[in-house]
Amino acid sequence: MSSVDTSVQMRMRGGRLLSLLILATAVALIIVTPFLPNYYVRVANGLLIYILLGIGLNIVIGYAGLLDLGFVAFYAVGAYTYALLASPQFDLHLPFLLIVVIAAAVGAITGILLGLPVLKMRGDYLAIVTLGFGEIIRIVINNLDWLTGGPKGIARLDKASIAGIELARPTEIYWLLIVVVFAVAIFVWRMEKSILGKAWAAIREDQDAARGIGINTTNAKLAAFATSATIGSIAGVIFAASQRFVSPDSFALQESVLIVLMIVIGGIGNILGIVIGAAILILLPEVLREFAEWRILFLGLLMIVLIIVRPAGIVPRTFGPEKLIRGLFGK
Amino acid sequence: MTLVFHNLRKQYGSHVAIDDVSTVFQPGLIHGIIGPNGAGKSTLINMTAGSYLVSGGRISLDDRTLSGLKKYQIANSGVARTYQNIRLFDQMTVLENLEVCFYPTQVGQVWREILWPPFAAKRRINRRDVCMELLSFFGLQHYADAEAGSLPYGRQRMLEIARALVTNPRVLLLDEPAAGLNHHETTELTARLAELKSPDRIMIVVEHDMDLVMSVCDRIVVMHHGKLLFQGTPAEVQASSDVQLAYLGTANDIDDIKTAAKDRRAQLGIRARRRT
Repeated sequence: MSSVDTSVQMRMRGGRLLSLLILATAVALIIVTPFLPNYYVRVANGLLIYILLGIGLNIVIGYAGLLDLGFVAFYAVGAYTYALLASPQFDLHLPFLLIVVIAAAVGAITGILLGLPVLKMRGDYLAIVTLGFGEIIRIVINNLDWLTGGPKGIARLDKASIAGIELARPTEIYWLLIVVVFAVAIFVWRMEKSILGKAWAAIREDQDAARGIGINTTNAKLAAFATSATIGSIAGVIFAASQRFVSPDSFALQESVLIVLMIVIGGIGNILGIVIGAAILILLPEVLREFAEWRILFLGLLMIVLIIVRPAGIVPRTFGPEKLIRGLFGK
Repeated sequence: MTLVFHNLRKQYGSHVAIDDVSTVFQPGLIHGIIGPNGAGKSTLINMTAGSYLVSGGRISLDDRTLSGLKKYQIANSGVARTYQNIRLFDQMTVLENLEVCFYPTQVGQVWREILWPPFAAKRRINRRDVCMELLSFFGLQHYADAEAGSLPYGRQRMLEIARALVTNPRVLLLDEPAAGLNHHETTELTARLAELKSPDRIMIVVEHDMDLVMSVCDRIVVMHHGKLLFQGTPAEVQASSDVQLAYLGTANDIDDIKTAAKDRRAQLGIRARRRT
């Protein structure tokens, strides 16, 4: 009995140490990054945007179990919402926060519009249809010259500003992103723990049995699509505001695939996993810049190894934020 | 409160699976549905729960027509079920499998639950209490944090029944709850079923285990080739020559019926166990 107790204690102490280590590293990285040269801050900003996208897409893929390969469409919707409402294109210059709200609403509506026709689909069929949806949005943007500027895109977007404070330099965008990523992560995590999150999990596990216990799967799925699209759209607004330029090239199919890979490699259904997955897939190519064409090969190999060694992702579904917090307070 | 089948019919193309079945299920009783393979027992359960569409006739609970409603609407009218092949939410914990059943009643205030942590905490404790009590009833309290899919087969069966009970349903449909259970587990199940009997609940059990059916059921409906062959008390069913004929093709005593049923049960058990 006593040996069991000590082993439990040791495991708890180990968990506590691990939690402390992870949190300390995260805090240190967050604080140090803005003091690094601009190049690094820009890379960090890119990473944070992808984390945001990953958190959004994970709602549909990781929680509700619906394979969506067209997520980049919502990202584009958000980016172009900003581009149209804060640029010389139509000489509209709405405030940044107002555009965030509008983009969130437009994103949610687009998410529901995509969700409605695919409600009955799952797996491969759903993947193909959403993939098509992503491409449709990109091609429409590419061809609607009068509205979107076509392949040339829209340039000279307004600088973002909140309450008179301009957010244009990489460090300013960085802090904006840190705040948004944390807010969204906490919101989505609480959503996952809510009764709606449990219903999503039930739909993922067995849709028909979920209906059998009284879950209106139509509404629950639409809620997943809408929330996910809203987050994608907000990420798009911040992306557009930081680049101050948008063009259809930024919203190609490979972006959707990249976000799905982040989720799968990092740990499906887990916010912490997405951070790790995004870090690997966004930072490694930067680190490997010197090896030019070899880096894609290297990344491919790494992915194959990871999928074989850790098929459920680097961070398991069970090691979520609550584990981290519980580890910290030793409970 | 009664569950009524009015001239119920189910047809696949030209094949008639359920032919003009009318019967009444009373609260406070455990109703058994028995019959040889392909008699349409599970079809009746599946139509009641809304898994299958009804081809003709009507199913009603009190004054409400259930047939034609969507599956989740039927569930929310107070009809809960288990499945012939266990269907749990395998990767969720045992506790979560039960907690998720609060969705229909709690989703209305989900925004408050997400945005206001004290409310969420209150809800979580509330859900946990109700679910833990049910788990204890089925002897599953120590498995609360285990993944449902990792449970031994017999425990999974119990968990599925517990899940059906979270919402305190007015109608409980059990589709072969003893399939694949060993003798000890079947005894335990029989005891639990008897305890679950309540004046506010209609219980319907489709089962091949005759010992279980005869000991726990108050009324038995015998199905044969999609038709309602006979209904009555266990004693009346055992005495009926029609029933014996249906099961064995010849008039024989109840022991032979039991043997035939046991063979079927053994087959099912093997199939069911293979799944895990």
